Amino acid sequence: MNASLAGMLALGTGFLLALFLCALAVERGLIPTRLTRHPAVYTLALGVYASAWAIYGSLELASTSGYGYLAYYLGVAGAFLLAPVLLVPIQRMTRTYQLASLADLFAFRYRSRWVGSLVTLVSLLAVLPLLALQVQTMGDAIYLMTGAASPAPLALAFCALIALFAMLFVGRRRRIDGQHDSLLAAIALSSLVKLLAMLGLGAFALFGVFDGPADLQAWLDGPGQAFQAGVVQTDPAHWRSLLLLFFAAALLMPHIFHIVFTETRSRHTLLQASWSLPLFLLLMALPVPLILWAGQRLGSQETLSAAYLAFGLSESGWTQALAFLAGLAATSATTVMIALALSGMVLNHVLLVAHPPEAQHDLYRWLQWLRRALVAAVVLGGWLFYRIVGVHHDLTSLGLTAFVGMAQCLPGLLALLYWPGANRKGMVSGLVAGILVWLLGLWGPLLTGLPSLVVIPPGLEVLSGEPVWYIVTLVSLATNALVFIVVSLATPTSEGERAAAEACSVDAVIRPKRLPLEAANGEEFKAHLARALGAAVAAREVDRALDDLGLSPLDGRPYALRRLRDRLQANLSGLMGPSVAQDIVDRYLPYRHDGPGATEDIHFVESRLEAYRSRLTGLARELDGLRRYHRRTLTRLPVGLCAFGEDGELLMWNDALAELSGIDGDSVVGARRDSLPAPWGELLGRILAEPGRHLYKQPVPLADGTRFLSLHKAELEGDDSEPGGMVILVEDHSEMKWLEDELVHAARLASIGQLAAGVAHEIGNPITGISSLAQNLRYDTDDPEVLATAEQIQQLTDRVSRIVSSLVGFAHGGRHLAGRDLAPVSVAEVVDEAIHLIHLARSGDDVRFDNRCPAAESVEGDAQRLLQVMVNLLGNARDASGPGDRVIIEATPEGEGLRLTVTDEGQGIDESVRDHLFEPFTTTKPPGEGTGLGLPLVYSIVAEHHGQIDLVSPPPDRERGTRISLWLPRHQKEGEAPR
Amino acid sequence: MYVYRLMLFLVLGGYLLSPLMMTGWASPGVAWYRPFVIWGVLIALTLWLEQKRKLDER
Repeated sequence: MNASLAGMLALGTGFLLALFLCALAVERGLIPTRLTRHPAVYTLALGVYASAWAIYGSLELASTSGYGYLAYYLGVAGAFLLAPVLLVPIQRMTRTYQLASLADLFAFRYRSRWVGSLVTLVSLLAVLPLLALQVQTMGDAIYLMTGAASPAPLALAFCALIALFAMLFVGRRRRIDGQHDSLLAAIALSSLVKLLAMLGLGAFALFGVFDGPADLQAWLDGPGQAFQAGVVQTDPAHWRSLLLLFFAAALLMPHIFHIVFTETRSRHTLLQASWSLPLFLLLMALPVPLILWAGQRLGSQETLSAAYLAFGLSESGWTQALAFLAGLAATSATTVMIALALSGMVLNHVLLVAHPPEAQHDLYRWLQWLRRALVAAVVLGGWLFYRIVGVHHDLTSLGLTAFVGMAQCLPGLLALLYWPGANRKGMVSGLVAGILVWLLGLWGPLLTGLPSLVVIPPGLEVLSGEPVWYIVTLVSLATNALVFIVVSLATPTSEGERAAAEACSVDAVIRPKRLPLEAANGEEFKAHLARALGAAVAAREVDRALDDLGLSPLDGRPYALRRLRDRLQANLSGLMGPSVAQDIVDRYLPYRHDGPGATEDIHFVESRLEAYRSRLTGLARELDGLRRYHRRTLTRLPVGLCAFGEDGELLMWNDALAELSGIDGDSVVGARRDSLPAPWGELLGRILAEPGRHLYKQPVPLADGTRFLSLHKAELEGDDSEPGGMVILVEDHSEMKWLEDELVHAARLASIGQLAAGVAHEIGNPITGISSLAQNLRYDTDDPEVLATAEQIQQLTDRVSRIVSSLVGFAHGGRHLAGRDLAPVSVAEVVDEAIHLIHLARSGDDVRFDNRCPAAESVEGDAQRLLQVMVNLLGNARDASGPGDRVIIEATPEGEGLRLTVTDEGQGIDESVRDHLFEPFTTTKPPGEGTGLGLPLVYSIVAEHHGQIDLVSPPPDRERGTRISLWLPRHQKEGEAPR
Repeated sequence: MYVYRLMLFLVLGGYLLSPLMMTGWASPGVAWYRPFVIWGVLIALTLWLEQKRKLDER
């Protein structure tokens, strides 16, 4: 062996340093994310499965069992082929409930902290031989490289370096967006190194030792046959057992579980590994027989153990360096991952269970240091196991002991996925029985050197003479499964376990229950949790959970609070394991039990079903299609619809109601009725409290004004005719209400018309009398003042008669104006007369009227009714004006008509009133001063004249005031062409 | 989802029949790389099924 100790140390530490720098570069963001998160990196990281067994153990197995060594690769490849039905459901569970290890998963499913502790203990016992295998190969490789007399201390030094490296990753998870990119990248790099080293060794064997494939085949058909004759082909039953053990390893080995489920990025990445990992393993397995045959051809087998034939391929240093590097890469990655995974399991399921973290001063730091110490302890434990036990056994014995031990968890895992009827007692009984057989049959003898104590059961005498590992595998797994099934069937299952079984089972119908919580919002969550975690950690965890869910700390919806509780439990489970997390959440965030009994959380079920859609097949998929159709029907119904559960929690708020109310469904679904925004909480409460089933045309103040809503309710009966809540329809009847109001107005106007007709008749006689007396007065005196007064009395009585007749005319919709009444009317004269009449009122004397209408302009119309228009417009202008203001009346020709404008300098008209100004009974004047009939009358008269009326306030050329603009058809004089 | 059943069938079938293939691989005169070729074909098949699954779920 020609490598110096210093060279080997430089190579080893250089490799570990390269791993460290790679992790550092990823953490610092020096390597692009698209590279570090590429699915190939994940596949390479999964290559951690190819431990020292794959580099050296496979050679040992191939030398004795031929192609039987492939079981190690094909077993795990089979597990990944089944990724969609086996790995993806577990991945979904581990992600949803933040389960970081097999013990977490078992403790969650079987609802017991002791189950987690038991699985941790089993994992620890089972993995120690595998860890010892890693250290042993490292020690052997160091010896082969350097010829050092005592490689164990050197192996310990490398173990210490590896442990230090593993400790660096403890506690970094939270900093990197929940992903352990740097760890994955470092493990992927080590996989790449071992793959390249193995391919390099294989290539050297094929082209360096042999002269290519043809020479190899010739050797195999010739001299090689002597070596092949010594190979005992694996018995089919042994082969199947090996496949099963390695298949189980992919799911159960702590370090594989950690990479496959805890570090996984997405379902897609895992599914991609279903072909990419077998490809990686194929490339890893391919060089094994080449190296073996090359070693056999060179005669190295006489001086070297078969496991280390790669070191004897040539005397050159680089092939030995490749063999050492491949082993070191495999060993270091496996040890790091085992240490990380086991330390987490021991922390969560042994230490934290024994000593709960009650309000630690700095919880995160405490957990971090505890875990680092455990990492060191696990690596040291591996080294000690190697020193005490490993050195006396070959790699195959160590490896098989580990794999058979871990396989004892397989029945529990399969039941977790596919048997909701399995219970804790059954699982624990089965596991203990299986583990006892394993301890007595393999682990104990490995430790003590005593013969196996496994007794072949009666009827299975055919097994005598078979290898011990095979007998122990069969007997332990059969005992385990049998006891598991029998005890599960014979003992009752707790309610909590049943719920967890539903959450874990593939294709299970998850029916979560709705119960209110004692804490009313996120802030209260913090206060409650502070008693367990300390104020700072509680605030951080609640904020993190709120952030994950996109909720506000003040969101008090029971639905949101339940999701927040679930999320907190999942996050705490990631931190401290599911048992402790559940204890904390149950104790400090309890449900209230004073309300109505628990009901199904329909909204949550629906959101789950939406997420699971791609998993549904056959009838379930068709039923889901039907559900979605009915859901869409209700959501898109053009009438507002909402539904309440029996406990008053809002379960549905459809699109039409969201549009009407301006409240998005997502923000209120899951809230209690009384916490809905005003006026909806009170309104919906009114219909729910109503003994009848309908409420008609309730005035509801909304953002766009008062609307009139009709509400109808119906009871939803649950299964077995139990009350199941209420569904409420909300119809917007505002337009119908307005139409009805208009009808009432019209009826009122009609009655005013009838009244006016009576008044006209009653007033007509006295007015005629007054008019006659005024007439007589003119003949009785020559006094000019009296004559003028008599004249004015006559004019005013005429005006009273006309007003009464106009009122009748308005009420009858202007039916009295016929074409024959139309005559040329001088606009200037009408305006003058109106000003004159306005002045009679003797109010607003200080308002100046400025008639700028050209005397020559006239319109086609009824002079009296146009005078009425002007009196109304000028009266309004006067009322709106202040002392000293001016009212300007102008007339300008426009097309075939005349544009007549009345502009005042008053306070203007409010925008909200402007649109309704021409509707009857709309007025801006104080109560008692305006009837609200003036402008509608003007509108009516202008319409009779085929004119138009517009209003602008303030006018564009002024800062304040109002301009009313009339357009009336001009009178066309004979021979005048229209303009 | 139907694709998954095909995979389940493939894996179970492979598990039960693989000892027969083992015997074949060890026979004299059989190319040493045959097991790896068969394995490669299986990987290609899985890749094809994975693509099909993606289309199925789209």
